[in-house]
Amino acid sequence: MENRNKVELHKISKVFLNGDSCEAAIEEVSLSVKENEFLVLLGPGECGKSVLLNIVAGLMEATSGEVYINGELCGGIHPEVGMVFQELGVLPWLTVRDNVALPEKFRGMSKKDRYAHGQEFIDLVGLHGFEKYYPHQLSGGMKQRVGIARAYASDSDILLMDEPFGKLDAQTRYSMQDEILKIWNQNKKTVIFVTNNIEEAVYLGDRIILFTAAPMSVRRIYDLKDLPRPRNYTDEKFLQIRGEINRHMDLVIQ
Amino acid sequence: MKQRLQITRYQILLNILPILSIVLFAGLWILVSSGEGHIIPSPGEVYDRAVRLFEKPINHVSLGGHIWASMKRVLNGLVFACLTGIPLGLLMGWSKTANSLLKPLFDLIRPIPALAWIPLMTLWFGIGESSKIALIYLGTLMPVLVNTYAGVKMIPQLNIDVARVFGASQLQIVKDIVMPSALSAIMAGIKTAVGTGWIVVLAAEMISADTGLGFMIIRGSNVADLALVIFAMLIIGLVGAFLSVLLTFAERKLCSWKIEIK
Ligand SMILES: Nc1ncnc2c1ncn2[C@@H]1O[C@H](COP(=O)(O)OP(=O)(O)OP(=O)(O)O)[C@@H](O)[C@H]1O
Ligand SMILES: [Mg+2]
Repeated sequence: MENRNKVELHKISKVFLNGDSCEAAIEEVSLSVKENEFLVLLGPGECGKSVLLNIVAGLMEATSGEVYINGELCGGIHPEVGMVFQELGVLPWLTVRDNVALPEKFRGMSKKDRYAHGQEFIDLVGLHGFEKYYPHQLSGGMKQRVGIARAYASDSDILLMDEPFGKLDAQTRYSMQDEILKIWNQNKKTVIFVTNNIEEAVYLGDRIILFTAAPMSVRRIYDLKDLPRPRNYTDEKFLQIRGEINRHMDLVIQ
Repeated sequence: MKQRLQITRYQILLNILPILSIVLFAGLWILVSSGEGHIIPSPGEVYDRAVRLFEKPINHVSLGGHIWASMKRVLNGLVFACLTGIPLGLLMGWSKTANSLLKPLFDLIRPIPALAWIPLMTLWFGIGESSKIALIYLGTLMPVLVNTYAGVKMIPQLNIDVARVFGASQLQIVKDIVMPSALSAIMAGIKTAVGTGWIVVLAAEMISADTGLGFMIIRGSNVADLALVIFAMLIIGLVGAFLSVLLTFAERKLCSWKIEIK
């Protein structure tokens, strides 16, 4: 079972119509994610990472190509998929606690049960004491952590994370990286993690898929299964891989 | 320090100005009413008329009774307008099919002022309560519906995507995402509708009624009792302002999360 493909993308392409012109965002991306694997998608800014993740989530339709989940063709939203959104998607009229409990609410869990269930993850992301706060009373980083707690609390087998730590300060970012690894270790989830940060990618990933700038296509795949965990940013092997990826990453002049 | 003092002085001025404008208005009124030709009753005359009103109610209905009669009509029409307008607005905002089916119809009906319906409504419902309520319904439906529709249209796709990813059904999306997102727009619609309803009810009462503030105005006009007319007008203004404050308060309660963002 360990080596079954949990998610498979087959020649995914995406073209956006911009008025009269067509703009290719993704060009024939194929990849697969093993069950319980921590896969990192690494690419420069605006290369199409969010679009690809939205296609996997079933929120956006690919222009061509297929998504398979558990070996079955998937044409839309899949119940096993949970997501942390880059733009947070924290609902302003709900308290922290209700935001985190939202997935369980949709499943019909009672209020008491879903609050109890969500509390674990609120504590985990360090928002204890803020349960009854509304999003506008939180900082950007705290809002991001609400989105993370919600995705964890949804108990999805497949976790899609779109630059989930992007708005956090360096210190929180490091501790959240360790937390996600802990959760992943404990609950054995399949994680697809999007980032544009090489260091973060090497610290987290079983495998890293490096993408080209737009239109997005696979440039290189790095297998880091042999890099022991917990990893160390100053480890010689770590720095070597980091340097190698750095050489192959497209420079994007913003 | 000096800067701060100036700001406080300015604040005080801002607090005085409303009182000043009312005093000026009263002064102007006194001036005009004491002039030649008796164009308008003086504040004193209006006050005396109001006192007499409590001693001898019009049509055996107290002032409160007349206010309540008008309000009840507005409320009845508004409740029907909300019961149909909100679901229709949600439906049209949510479903493109429903929208393209219903929108032309409403686009056609919307520019017709409620008052233009008076002949038809009288023909169908007579001159009693039901025709007035039907008129108010017609006047208040559009603001409620249009605002609900706009509210749904303004919902960020991201919020809906969040619900979809976490497995919400269509019904849950409408209930847990669309409704709360559109709530403040719906409240704005209801506020506009109350204003419209207030206009329509007065017009309807001026045509035929034996209770209500519109009836009071017409009665005053018929017997050349201008003080009564002015008093009724003042009450209409006060009640309208009170309703608006009440609704703003309700909106603040319901959308407390939004007010603080500003
Ligand atoms: N709905 C859309 N309609 C049209 N174009 C879009 C749409 N969504 C994304 N794009 C375009 O696709 C390209 C890739 O966008 P995407 O958001 O996937 O980048 P990204 O890799 O996630 O960037 P970042 O690292 O900044 O998050 C951009 O040029 C963007 O303008
Ligand atoms: Mg992105």
